[in-house]
Amino acid sequence: MNILIVEDESRIAKRIERMTRDILGDTLQSLTHINTLDGALTFIERNSLDLVLLDLNLNGNSGFDLLTTAVSKSFHTIIISANKDQAITAFEYGVLDFVPKPFNRDRLEQALHKTIAKEKKETNEVKFLAIKKRHRIQLIPIEDVLYIKGAGPYTELFLSDGKKELHDKSLEKLEQLLSPAFERIHKSYLVKMSEVKSIIVESGSKYLAELKNGVLIPIGRTKYKDIKAKWF
Amino acid sequence: MNLRSLPYFLLVCTMLLVTSCTQESAIFNTSQTVFKIGDQQKWAAQNWNDLGWRTRIGSVPDGKIYWSRTKIDILEIQEPLRPYGLQLFVYGEYEVYWDGVLIGKNGNPGQETILDPEGEMWATFSIPTHLTEAGEHLLALRSSLYYFSNHTRIEELRIDYYDDILTEQLIESSYMHLFAGAFLIASLYFLFLFLSNKKEYATLIFSVICFLFFVLIFAEFMKAYVPIHYTMHVIRLQIIGFLMLGISFLIPFYFSMQFPFPKRKLLLIIYAGILLYIFLSKYDYFELTANNMALSMWIFAFGIVVYGVYKKMKGAGLVLLTLLLSVPIGLVTTFNKSLFAGFCLILLGMFYLLSLRIKEQRLAYENTLVQSTRLRLELLKKNIQPHFLMNTLTSLIDWVEESPKKGVLFIEALAKEFDLFNQIENQKLIPIAQEIALCRTHLEIMEYRQEINYSWQEEGIDLEQKIPPAILHTLLENGITHSLPLEDNSIKFKLVFESNSDYKCYTFLTFATVVKQATSTKEDGTGLKYIKARLTESYHSKWEFTSEPTNHGWKNTLKIYS
Repeated sequence: MNILIVEDESRIAKRIERMTRDILGDTLQSLTHINTLDGALTFIERNSLDLVLLDLNLNGNSGFDLLTTAVSKSFHTIIISANKDQAITAFEYGVLDFVPKPFNRDRLEQALHKTIAKEKKETNEVKFLAIKKRHRIQLIPIEDVLYIKGAGPYTELFLSDGKKELHDKSLEKLEQLLSPAFERIHKSYLVKMSEVKSIIVESGSKYLAELKNGVLIPIGRTKYKDIKAKWF
Repeated sequence: MNLRSLPYFLLVCTMLLVTSCTQESAIFNTSQTVFKIGDQQKWAAQNWNDLGWRTRIGSVPDGKIYWSRTKIDILEIQEPLRPYGLQLFVYGEYEVYWDGVLIGKNGNPGQETILDPEGEMWATFSIPTHLTEAGEHLLALRSSLYYFSNHTRIEELRIDYYDDILTEQLIESSYMHLFAGAFLIASLYFLFLFLSNKKEYATLIFSVICFLFFVLIFAEFMKAYVPIHYTMHVIRLQIIGFLMLGISFLIPFYFSMQFPFPKRKLLLIIYAGILLYIFLSKYDYFELTANNMALSMWIFAFGIVVYGVYKKMKGAGLVLLTLLLSVPIGLVTTFNKSLFAGFCLILLGMFYLLSLRIKEQRLAYENTLVQSTRLRLELLKKNIQPHFLMNTLTSLIDWVEESPKKGVLFIEALAKEFDLFNQIENQKLIPIAQEIALCRTHLEIMEYRQEINYSWQEEGIDLEQKIPPAILHTLLENGITHSLPLEDNSIKFKLVFESNSDYKCYTFLTFATVVKQATSTKEDGTGLKYIKARLTESYHSKWEFTSEPTNHGWKNTLKIYS
C-alpha cells in the first residue's frame, strides 16, 4: 500500500507514521509525510496512492480544498482531525473514516482495517461524489446518481438527467463508500436500489433489473439469490 | 427630528397659552390726569374746577405735597354686592380720594422724611359701592415723592371687581411659580449631571440658565405677595435687568456649545458687545432693554440652531422647532410670559435630547459589556478550542507512551499555560511580563508538539507597561501556525519595545519560512479580529496595527498613541 500522511503537527505525524507501519507491516509499500497543503496537493497529483491520512486544519488553512481534491481521486481518504464537528461534512464528501484526535492505536487500526478488509459501510452518509473536471472539482449529489458502471480502474456515473460522468475511484471503493443504499448487482454494476422497479427473469437464467426510467441492468447469476432475498 | 415628541410640545403650548391669556374688559374710561403742587383738602372734591392744573409738573422736590386729579367714567354697572376695586401703580406715598371721599392710604404723604418708608408700588383699594354708579367719577391723589421726585405720574390705573384684582395676581404668580419650581429642579438636576461628569460644561451652563430663570421669576412675580416700597422698585428692575443680560448671553452661548460653528469665539464676543450696548445705552428704560435683549438673544440663538440643522447636528431640529414655537407664544402673550414659556419649551427639548443621549449611552454601555464578554470568552476558548486542545493531548499521549518523564514536563508546561490564562481571563490589561510568560510557556508546549527549536528574544521591554491580554500570544500562535522552521529546524521570535512622547510601539518579528496562505486573506482571521477588538476596547481609536511578511518571516507592529 502507498500511503500519504498530511499533518502539520510533527509529533502527531510521527505517531501516525509509527502506528501505521506497525499495523500494516509488510503490506505497506511506501509512507510519506507532508506538512503543507500545497506540498500535499502536488504529491497527490504526481504519485499513485492507495490511502491518504488527512488533517483538516493545516497551517491555519482549512483542509476542505484538499479534501475535495482527495475524494475525487482513486484512493480512499481517512480524516484524522481535532475538529469533530467537521466529521459529518467529511463523511458527506465521501471519506472512508474520520478519526478524532486524540486517538490510540486501536482506533487507527480500525480505520486502516476498513481499507484492507474492503469492509462496507453500515450507514449511508455520503452526500456527494467529487469528480474531476478540467481545472476544477465538481460535486455530484448522490441523489442524482442512478447507477454506476465499472470501466477498468475508473467508473462511470449514470445520472438522473441522462448524463454520464467519469469517476476516478474503482467500483470496489465506491461500493465501500456507497453501501448500503447502492448494491453491487453485477461485477460491473453498482445500482441504487431505490431506483430498481422490478427484476425481470429471462430465459436461460438471465436476470435483469429494470430501473424506474426503463433502463435494464444485468444481475450477476451468483448475486441474484442474495439480492432477491435482501430486497424483494 | 423625532415626530413622536411633537404631540407633547403641542400639548404644552396649548397649556401655556390657556394659562397666560388674561381677559381685558372695558368697564371704565379715564381722562387725562392733571397735577398741581400744593395741598388743599378741597382739591379732592369731584366738582372742583381744575382748569388751571397742568398735565405734567416735572419734579416735585423735598417730598412736598402735590395733588393729581383723574376723571374716570364707569361704563358698566357693577354686580350687586361685589364692590369695585382700584389698583394703582404709582411712585410715591399717597392718600386716595374717590369722589371726594378718602378710600385708602398708601404710606404717609408729606411725612416721608420723618416716618419710615411705608406703602407699596402696587396698591389695591376697595371703592364703596354707593360711589361706583355708572357715570363720571373723580380720583384724586394727595402724594409726596421724596426719593424719585421726577416720577410724578400714574404709571398704571385699573378698575375692576375688587376680589378679581386680588385673586388674578395670585393665580398668575402661582402659575409662574410652578415654572420656577420646574426651573429650580432642572437647574439642580443639570448641576448634578455636571458634577458627575465635570468635562460637560454645557450642562453647567444649562444649569446656570435654569437657575437664572428661577431667580428671574421670583424677581418678576414677587410683587404679588411681597410689599415693595417705591424706593425698592428700581433695585428690583435692576436685578431683573442683570438677570436678563445673563440669560440673553448664556442661551446662545449654550447653543453654541451644542451646535458649534466656525469663528465661534469671535461671534460670541461680538454678540456680547451688542448685548452690553443694548443693556447700557437705555439703562433706565428697563422694559425696552429687556425686550431688545430677548429679541437679539432669539435672533442669535435662531441663527446658531439653523446652522446646526443645516449641518445635521443631533437635536438641532428639535430645538429649532421649540424656537419657532416660541414665536406664536410671544405674539399672543405678554413679554414676560412668552419668555418663560419659550424657554420652558427649550427646556423640554433639552430633556428630550438628554433622554436620547442617556439611551445612546445605555446602548453603548450594553454593547461594550457584550463585547467584553465576547472577548473574554474568546480568550477562554483559546485553550479549549479543539485544534489546540486535541492536538496537544494527542502529542501528550504520544510523549507519555514514549517517554513518561518528558510527558510529565509537557503536562507541567500545559498546566502553567492554563494557570496563566486563568489569571488573566477577566482582565482588560495585564502586565507585559505576564504576557511574555504566557508566550514562553506556549512555546514550551509547542516545542513538545512540533519538535522544533523555538526561541524567544526581547529587546527594550519596559516591565511597567501593560497590554491587553493574549495579544502577543495570538501573534505568536499565528506565527507558529503559518511558519515552517528554517533549515536548522528553528523558529525565532523577537519582541522589541520602543516608546517616545507620541506613542509606544511593540514590534513582533518571526524568523521562519512563511507558509503561503491558500485562502484569500481579504478578511482578518479570528486571531487578528480578536487583537483589534482588544485594542479598541482598551485604547479606543488610539492604536495602529500592521502585519506584513518580510524576507525573514513576518513582522507585526503595534503602535499605541498617547
